[in-house]
Order: sequence, then C-alpha cells, then structure tokens
Amino acid sequence: MDLLDLIDAVQSVADGLLFGSTYALLGIGFTLIFGVMHKINLSYAAASIGAAYGSLLLLSGFTAPAIVVFMAAALCGGVIGALVYFIGFKFIPVANPLATLMSTVGLLLLIDEIIVHTTQGVPLAYPALYSDVVVRLGPFMLRGDLMFVFVLGCACMVLFLLLLYRTRLGIATRAVSQQPVASQLCGISILQVNVLTFVVTGILGGIAGAMSGAAIGMLSPLLAQPLTVKGLIVTVIGGLGSIPGAIIAGLIVGGLESLFQFLRGVTERDLYIMMLLFAFLVFRPGGIFAKAPGRD
Amino acid sequence: MDFYLGLAQVIGVHTLLGLSAYCVLLTSQVSLAQAAFFAVGAYVAAILTVIFKWHLFAALGVSAVVSGLTACAVGFPALRVKGLMLVVATLAFGEAVRLFFFNFTYQIQAGELKIGPHGAEGFRQIRYFPEHGWSTFDVLVFIWLMVAIVMACLWWLDQSRAGAVMRAVGEDEVAAHSAGINVTAAKVSAMTIGGVIAGIGGGIFAHYTTHIEHAQFGVILATFAIAYPILGGLSNVFGTLLAVIFIQGFLIEGLRFLGDWRNLLFGALIVLAMNLRPRGFLDAGGIASLKRMLFAGKESSGA
Repeated sequence: MDLLDLIDAVQSVADGLLFGSTYALLGIGFTLIFGVMHKINLSYAAASIGAAYGSLLLLSGFTAPAIVVFMAAALCGGVIGALVYFIGFKFIPVANPLATLMSTVGLLLLIDEIIVHTTQGVPLAYPALYSDVVVRLGPFMLRGDLMFVFVLGCACMVLFLLLLYRTRLGIATRAVSQQPVASQLCGISILQVNVLTFVVTGILGGIAGAMSGAAIGMLSPLLAQPLTVKGLIVTVIGGLGSIPGAIIAGLIVGGLESLFQFLRGVTERDLYIMMLLFAFLVFRPGGIFAKAPGRD
Repeated sequence: MDFYLGLAQVIGVHTLLGLSAYCVLLTSQVSLAQAAFFAVGAYVAAILTVIFKWHLFAALGVSAVVSGLTACAVGFPALRVKGLMLVVATLAFGEAVRLFFFNFTYQIQAGELKIGPHGAEGFRQIRYFPEHGWSTFDVLVFIWLMVAIVMACLWWLDQSRAGAVMRAVGEDEVAAHSAGINVTAAKVSAMTIGGVIAGIGGGIFAHYTTHIEHAQFGVILATFAIAYPILGGLSNVFGTLLAVIFIQGFLIEGLRFLGDWRNLLFGALIVLAMNLRPRGFLDAGGIASLKRMLFAGKESSGA
C-alpha cells in the first residue's frame, strides 16, 4: 500500500468516524431502553427514521432552515417514542419478554409500512447544514455536513449525560434500572419514568434519524433495517447498558465500516462488521466496558 | 386451483421454518439465525441436485446435516450470552450468512448455459421437480409429509424426557442447573435440532421456488420464523401451524383485496395479537378450555 492509498484509507476512516455519531446515538437509545425496561425495542431505528420523515411532513408547507427540520425531527421522535411505549409495552405483562419482542417487531413493520404508504416508497431529499463547506487539513478533507452531524451528535450525548447524571429524572431513571421494586417503594412512579425514558430516547432517535438523513442526503424506508442491525451491534459491542461504551462502539463501528468499504467494497463491508461482533462475543462478551461480575 | 396448491406449499415450508424456531424457543432462547440455517439448507440442497445431480432425498439429508452442524457450531459461542445479546449475536450471524451468499459464486458450464449460485444474481434453474416429472400435487404431498413427520417427531420429543429437560431450561435456567441438568447440552441440542429442521425446510424451499437469492433470507424471514411460534404459543407444536396458517393464509393471501392497506394492517395485527394474547393463540389455558369443549359430553356421561 503506497502513500496515496494510505491517505485515502485515513480519509475514509475519518468520514466513517463522523458518521459513526449516528450509530452512537442509536446505540444509546437501545441501551437506555434495555437498561430501564430490560426489554428489547426492535422498532427503535424504524421509529427514528419515522421521526425524520415526520419532520419533513410537518414542515412540508414552507421552506424551513435545516436546523428547524432537525428540531422538528426531535419533537416527532419524542411523540413517536411515547406512542411506541403505550402501544407496544404498556399493556403487555412484564414477565413476558417474548411478547414484547414480538410487539416491537410488529411496530417495526407497522412504522415501515406507514412510511411507505405516505410517501409511496419514494426516497426524499433531506436538508443538510454546511453541505458546501469543506475543511482541508493537509491532504485530508472533512465534509462540512458530516462535521455538523458529528458535532450535533456529541452535543446531544453531552446533554443526555448531564440529564442522566445531574437531574432528578436521571436519578429516577437510574434507580428504576437498578432496582425497580425498591425505587417504587421510594415513591418513584415507574410508569412516569418509563414514559419519560421512551420520550427521551425517542428525541435522541429522532435526532439520529435526522442526522443519518442529512449525512446520506436522503431518507428511504430501506434505511430502517440496516440501522436497526447497526444500532444493536453497537449496543452489544459497547457492553449492554453502558452509555460510554455505546458512544465509543458507535464511533468504532462507523470508522471500521467506512474503512472496510474502502478496502473490500460495499458488498463485503458488513460481513467484517459482523465478524468484529463475533470476535467481541467470543473474547469479550461483556463489551468494551464490561461490568464487574456479581451485579444484577 | 394451482393457486391454492401453491399457497399450501408455502404454508408447509413456513411451518418447517416456524418449527425450527419453536424448538429453539422451548429453551427460551430467541434465535434470529433460523433464516441463515434455512439459507444454508437451501443452497446446499440446490447445489447437490443441480450441479452434482444427486437424488433429492439424499440432497435433503445432507442439507439437514450441514445446517445442523452449522447450528451446533454457532450454538457454542452464541450461548455464552443471553437475552438481548443472544438476539443480536444470532441476528448478526444471520446477516453474515446472507452476505456470504451475496458474495458467493460457484458456477459450472452445463450445455450452453452456466448453472450454480452466482453472487447477487442468486441461484436460478433449480429444476429438479419439473425434470423428474413431479406434479404440483406430488410436491404438495411431499412437503406436507415432511411437515407431518417433523411435527410428529417434535410432539414425541415434547412428551419425552428430553422435552421436559428443554422446557425446564427454558423456565428457569438456574433451577434446572442446580437440579443437575446440563444446561449447555440442552441449549446446543435444541439449536442443532432447530438447524436440522430449518435445513430440510430450506432444501424444499429451494426446489419448489426454483430460484433462490440472498435477499430472501434476510432479517424479515428471521423475524417471521420466531413470529410463528410466539404468536401461536409455545405450549404446543400445533400453535405454530395455526400461526403460519393465520399469517401466510389469512394476513398475506386472504387480505390481498385490501391492496396497500394490507401491509399496514399486518404489523398492527401482530401488535394487537400480542397485546390481547401475550402467551400466543394456543396457550395452556386455551388448550384446557378447548379440551373441555371437545370432551364435555364424555366427562358428563362418565360422571
């Protein structure tokens, strides 16, 4: 490999890292819902794409600046998150994880079909901020839209961590995730915490959907399935329930995906990501930041 | 009439797929890799009959063995993790297998055309049934014979000690372990049996569709595979059959007149079904009341 190839490889890793912030946000969403409810929400990535579509629908009447579209996506994400909780989680017995798994699969199909139904399955252009800006660093270029996505993703993560570790809601959420019964005895309303968790993760998901839409340049219902797979992989590589793990794993997966695409082409790209996941499962099943054994 | 025969074939093959997931779900593991075992079975059986000109039964046997071995090999590393981690691990394995077939080309020249799997274009010309003069009806009978055999075996397994062990592991792993049950052996054998059944199903699937490609074995097929037993209820093999008839027969074919709305209804009905009957259509209580209804006369005469 000569120098020119090396520059291209580094360039693709940089692009991938910037895009990886989307995966990191999705990974946080999956991990938080799992942490609080001990249930899998397979419809999460579809709901995120749905929220991005919702923002386009909400602002279809007038030409809004891209930042407003992003905020609308966050709003839609929150609403869809609450809906997902009430439709797919609220009325199903806690002790039956299989039923919840299935209902979120149903929701995944439902959300996907609603998107296809309202847009006739045509991919829609999604606005990006700073898409004409290119920052040059020596031989490398950083695309402005990807950089914006990255910065926005990091800002969301910081805000989210502050929410989780500095507010009453955050304390309640963490309490419920550790000891649901004890926190209920302390006067925390589990229903309220669950709904708010879904709203917060929905907002994160809406932003993640908008970010991937902006980074790719368009939205398509076909995005839901790969994003679900990637989000779950990020969750597992990062260590289930670990938020810093999800962030780092998201960036790693994004960077490696782009590198493999450069080295081996687009058809084999995901194969290597799956192998990475297997390597983690075999050699480090607890993820990057594995919890010490002995805790529930 | 051919339409209904075709539908019955689809239901039969999907029942095999559902039963393979049922077997794994008995030990309360959620495996999204069943579509991958199905794909392995389909490709192996089709390559054997098309390229090596084997007899169908021999090819199905080999595909069942190969899928079972794959499942066994996946079982050991995958069973180190539980719950969500297992779902993701098997999901990733399924996708990896699909991507492998996406990049897999193995063709030989036969006459003027090339036969064999060809990467993204898939595997065409699997013409065993027409070449050997099987009518649609023969194929249908063959498929349902296989379904009946597999269901009978699973029913027997369920009643036997092995089934009790599997259910014990599914209900409470720690308790089962402390009762002296080898949990890993139970889980891996459930996975292997599931792989064997999926391999047979895949082999049949490849031959009646005559064309397979990687996109058919994606996440959607894998979620369908676990949807059948979960919707049908895990207390009985017939629940799976019922759910397959409900989904393939009623939701997919029966509601075709609704056009676009059908797909919307599809997801919504799954959510509704899970909200109303979280333990599946045929749960233990349902079977008990069904028995009461059927045998009510006998009991009252005996009393």
